[in-house]
Amino acid sequence: MTRSKRMIEIVGLNKWFGQFHVLKDIDLTVRDGQKFVICGPSGSGKSTLIRCINQLEHHQEGSIIVDGIKVEPGGRNQSAIRDKIGMVFQQFNLFPHLSVLENCILTPTLGQGLPKAEAEEIAMTHLTRVGIDDQARKYPLQLSGGQQQRVAIARALCVRPQIMLFDEPTSALDPEMIKEVLDVMVELAEQGMTMICVTHEMGFARQVADKVIFMDAGEIVEANEPQAFFDNPRYDRSQQFLSHIL
Amino acid sequence: MSDAPLIFSPKPDRPAPADTVGLLGWIRQNLFKDVPNALMTLLGAYIIFVVTGAVVNWALIDAVWSAESRRECLDQVGRAGACWPGVAAWFKNLIYGLYPKDQVWRINLGFVLLVLWMLPLWMPKVTSKIGIGLSAVLLYPFLASYFFLGGEKALVWTALIALGLCGLIWVWSTALTETLVEKPLGSWVIGRLGVPEADERRQRQTKLICAALLFVAAFAFVSLWSLSEVRTRLWGGLFLTLVISGIGITFSLPAGILLALGRRSDLPVIAAMSTLFIELFRSVPLITILFMFNTMLPLFMPTGIEVNQLVRAIVAVCLFAAAYMAEVVRGGLQAIDKGQYEASSSLGMGYWQTTTLIVLPQALKIMIPAIVGNFIGLFKDTTLVSIIGLFDLMNMARAIGEDTRWLGLFIEPFFVVSLIYFVFCFAMSSYSMGLERKLATGRDRS
Ligand SMILES: Nc1ncnc2c1ncn2[C@@H]1O[C@H](COP(=O)(O)OP(=O)(O)O)[C@@H](O)[C@H]1O
Ligand SMILES: [Mg+2]
Repeated sequence: MTRSKRMIEIVGLNKWFGQFHVLKDIDLTVRDGQKFVICGPSGSGKSTLIRCINQLEHHQEGSIIVDGIKVEPGGRNQSAIRDKIGMVFQQFNLFPHLSVLENCILTPTLGQGLPKAEAEEIAMTHLTRVGIDDQARKYPLQLSGGQQQRVAIARALCVRPQIMLFDEPTSALDPEMIKEVLDVMVELAEQGMTMICVTHEMGFARQVADKVIFMDAGEIVEANEPQAFFDNPRYDRSQQFLSHIL
Repeated sequence: MSDAPLIFSPKPDRPAPADTVGLLGWIRQNLFKDVPNALMTLLGAYIIFVVTGAVVNWALIDAVWSAESRRECLDQVGRAGACWPGVAAWFKNLIYGLYPKDQVWRINLGFVLLVLWMLPLWMPKVTSKIGIGLSAVLLYPFLASYFFLGGEKALVWTALIALGLCGLIWVWSTALTETLVEKPLGSWVIGRLGVPEADERRQRQTKLICAALLFVAAFAFVSLWSLSEVRTRLWGGLFLTLVISGIGITFSLPAGILLALGRRSDLPVIAAMSTLFIELFRSVPLITILFMFNTMLPLFMPTGIEVNQLVRAIVAVCLFAAAYMAEVVRGGLQAIDKGQYEASSSLGMGYWQTTTLIVLPQALKIMIPAIVGNFIGLFKDTTLVSIIGLFDLMNMARAIGEDTRWLGLFIEPFFVVSLIYFVFCFAMSSYSMGLERKLATGRDRS
């Protein structure tokens, strides 16, 4: 594989919530176009790790560099970094008082100063990409969970990010809607987006991941290619975990 | 086992049992479900009948409609019927206080202007509603206070009144162009003057020149026109109640929002100051605050500057109302899910964008009942200004019974005042219910 540029570089990351040491000595490098899947038991710090990357949480030690910009715990560079990163949440977090289209054009028009017509055009291409273009005038709560999550993906894409973070995007969905969201994510992966997904959808991990990362108790226990990880986990914790979810 | 799968066909819908739907069903289910329920219904109906009967008898059937004094009323019907002539004789005072009779048109015109100002907010095609609402809050008060107060006007004062006049003209020209030709006022004017669409600088200049010309004309007009001074000592009745509560209500919402945001702020100094202010004003009764402002404020003022008593009362009411509103708003802010803030930040929106575009619209919508409840409470609380000697609606009603001709006539004026309060409060309450219903449609999964 050619050595493409480093999009995310995390070195020696440590984070505490009060006295609770939630992330311990995390090192992680994600290159342009790579897809990482993070898995691990609940409470192991997966969400906290990806939330540190776009500054929804602030770390105390170590460094995070996103596309050459250093993430400062004080919050400087914050908007520059958030422009590069899109995030999709477990609970969708769409804005319920705005229509689907308004959800998508809000930041492009107000934050990035795009003319409304242009922003709407971009929003419609992304909504078409996730298959929601015919629902653009509806309000989020009128859509099903799977549709809402696809809108959330489109909304994040409208900011034209270079990296997408997913925090258990299918965990709040009814089983019959999981596939429609995963399909969108697979397509996004095939188009070359750099992605970090916290998910327990192992089929998805096998299909798109360059690396699967297994976390436990705030540490990265194991990081490996999906094939190797699933067939041949090295640690007892990973074996136990896999035996529970597979 | 056969190879072909069984075919599932859903059962057809059946209508609900007849005695549970429709008007008859409702009556049966709710009023006459069983014997105790039926007895309660009958008892309730009886009480309503007796009470309304008594009130109607007193207020209408046995009432006296023409008399010269309370004595005459008592001679005619004793205490069995209401004595309305006393209220009628004082009615103008109940509404306008001691405002000079020949100047009362200024109050009426002032309120008509307010209605005119707000009317476009209900016109369906008008799009600049936020601007119109803001101008009503920021510019109307100048115009209204000159109408109500009158008197000498210095240069600055004239300019502010002219600004108010420009505001009204702007509101209506905007409403008209947006309704008739469906264009904002600015682009319609520019279209009529033939300024090229592409030339943004010239467009801006033209708009500025038009605004300046309008202002100069308004200024000239305002300087020509003068109204005699009516001191606030003469203000009273419903008029005074509306002025105090109107200002209190208009001030309390924005101030309450700022205080609530301040209390939740990450900056410790701002959070502490907001909390201190809110807790201070919430733990002291309004009467005490009114007294303090009335007697103590003058002590802190530099000598020579006298703050009018009405202003002191209004300031006290505003600060008190803002503290209460802040807690209502904080309740609404707490109801907004953390995920909304996170989604908004992750999209790159800053604090003020998140607050004004994402959080407040949702929070205010949930808070409508509580906010309007607060408005209603404030409207009624203004009766307390009578304590410091202002003749609001309530105090005016009391004054009737102290008039030598109508000595002791208290019940009738209070009855009328209650009706007036009821009409205003019920209107606010119905409006809020309507607003909730309107905002609820179309947004939620139905
Ligand atoms: N804001 C917070 N304050 C204190 N503790 C927290 C906070 N957020 C998460 N935690 C704790 O940190 C640990 C890791 O949380 P999280 O990253 O959400 O785990 P995961 O996403 O892997 O389930 C958990 O034990 C959780 O209780
Ligand atoms: Mg999590």
